[in-house]
Amino acid sequence: MKRSLPVDELARDDRFVRSSIEDRLTDPRSAARAGAVAEGRGRRRRPISPDQPGAPDAARSLMHGIFVGEVQALEGAGRTCWDFDLGAGDDEVPFELKLDMARQCWDEARHVEISCALAAWMGTAIGEFAESTILYEAACNDDPVMRLTGVNRALEGLAIDVFNTMREFGQAAGDPVLEFCEDWMLADEVTHVKMGSDWLRRLTAQDPDRRARALEFQKVVDKLFSYGGIRGDDDDSPVRLARRFRELAGFAAAEIDEIAELSREAARDRAAKASARQSASRQGG
Amino acid sequence: MADPRAPRAPFAPWDRRELPGAFTVEESAVRVGHYKWIEMKLFEVLGGWVATVPELDVKMRLGTHTYHHAWHAELWHKRLPELREMNPERLTGPPNDELVTFVDAMTEPEAPDLTIEKLVGAYRVLIPHKIAAYTYHLNNTSTITDAPTIRSLKFALQDELEDWRDGEMLIQSLIASPEEVRRAADHQGRLEHLMVLAGGIVGPGSIGDSSAPAAGNGVVS
Repeated sequence: MKRSLPVDELARDDRFVRSSIEDRLTDPRSAARAGAVAEGRGRRRRPISPDQPGAPDAARSLMHGIFVGEVQALEGAGRTCWDFDLGAGDDEVPFELKLDMARQCWDEARHVEISCALAAWMGTAIGEFAESTILYEAACNDDPVMRLTGVNRALEGLAIDVFNTMREFGQAAGDPVLEFCEDWMLADEVTHVKMGSDWLRRLTAQDPDRRARALEFQKVVDKLFSYGGIRGDDDDSPVRLARRFRELAGFAAAEIDEIAELSREAARDRAAKASARQSASRQGG
Repeated sequence: MADPRAPRAPFAPWDRRELPGAFTVEESAVRVGHYKWIEMKLFEVLGGWVATVPELDVKMRLGTHTYHHAWHAELWHKRLPELREMNPERLTGPPNDELVTFVDAMTEPEAPDLTIEKLVGAYRVLIPHKIAAYTYHLNNTSTITDAPTIRSLKFALQDELEDWRDGEMLIQSLIASPEEVRRAADHQGRLEHLMVLAGGIVGPGSIGDSSAPAAGNGVVS
């Protein structure tokens, strides 16, 4: 078996349907919504709440996103067990890092199981929504430090925010099953993010340049995964940064502030692009 | 109530633990080093295979079992210094080139339509050989002096037996045609042949030597 499995070779059964991040970000429906908000016409987005029209579908869509994310997190952690030799080189990993990744495999496998059961509980099914493979793509980096930083700190960090949001949604909706499951998965995600924080510090202790490159990569992934600012620290962010849990996982307050600012930047970029597209479309029409 | 100061035998009547055992400290360390190596090879490949199997239930079981074998590798890694091997990497290795050939052949299947071959290699060949070697060690080492190894062997064996059953049931659920029966049998035969050449997961003597006299045991009197 080769090292570094490309994303297009991820094995799936026939139920799964893939969409690219480009497809999602350039979807004319969401662009039109963002443009309308930017121009002060559309309804402002707000945190997902049971009293919103369409909340059950939004929650089901988010749950399906969590499910495919867990599948890819499982695959990414598994590939990190396989892709690297043991050693101290930049393309090698310590034995203990592989043990952590193996542990993460088990955790992610449980999360896939939980997600499947929860999806059924919430009334959706595998393949009802499209799968974006960006998580696994971040897990394909040839440098293990980048991989750990991109996946365990950026993406698993996002998972902390999403699970906390879903847990609160479960509380508000009076759904103890959803709240229970999200709370357990949230506990695991804090562990995974902490693994990423710890390994980033350990592997780059003598190499500040490598640490800086890894943190830069994390910023890119964080901005990309703010989904145009949907995940942020503002009152109207549909997915709120879970500050307390991120701090437990080794994030400094300044780092969380930085992610919040990246999300605002992403929201501004998205609104500006949507506005420009709408203007161009009006002029063209 | 019995007199608490009355002399009692150091071994209770029901305690049948024995001295000595079949393995010296050094022999035990060598086996443990081979165990660590093969557990590492197994958890690495199970982790790598997760992304290559389309069957969702198999994907999840492989993820779970990846951790089991990593944990066994960690147990053996920690046991080595207790067996006077202060550089665990020195003894972490295969017993011979033939076992490397076996592992290379077992880890070869990659395509998404080769789940049967992947599972057969792990669950019908390697894991049964691990169960055999661990059981031989468990039944022949000193139950007094080597109790820490025995404790780890029991933990590992519990996982191995449950994982073997999981894997075997997955294989049975995937084999539905004569062609698939043939694929499974052919692959098992090829790998079993390589394992026989290796002599088992710790080389010749993995499960003892049936033609040799029984290893010394029994209570020293």
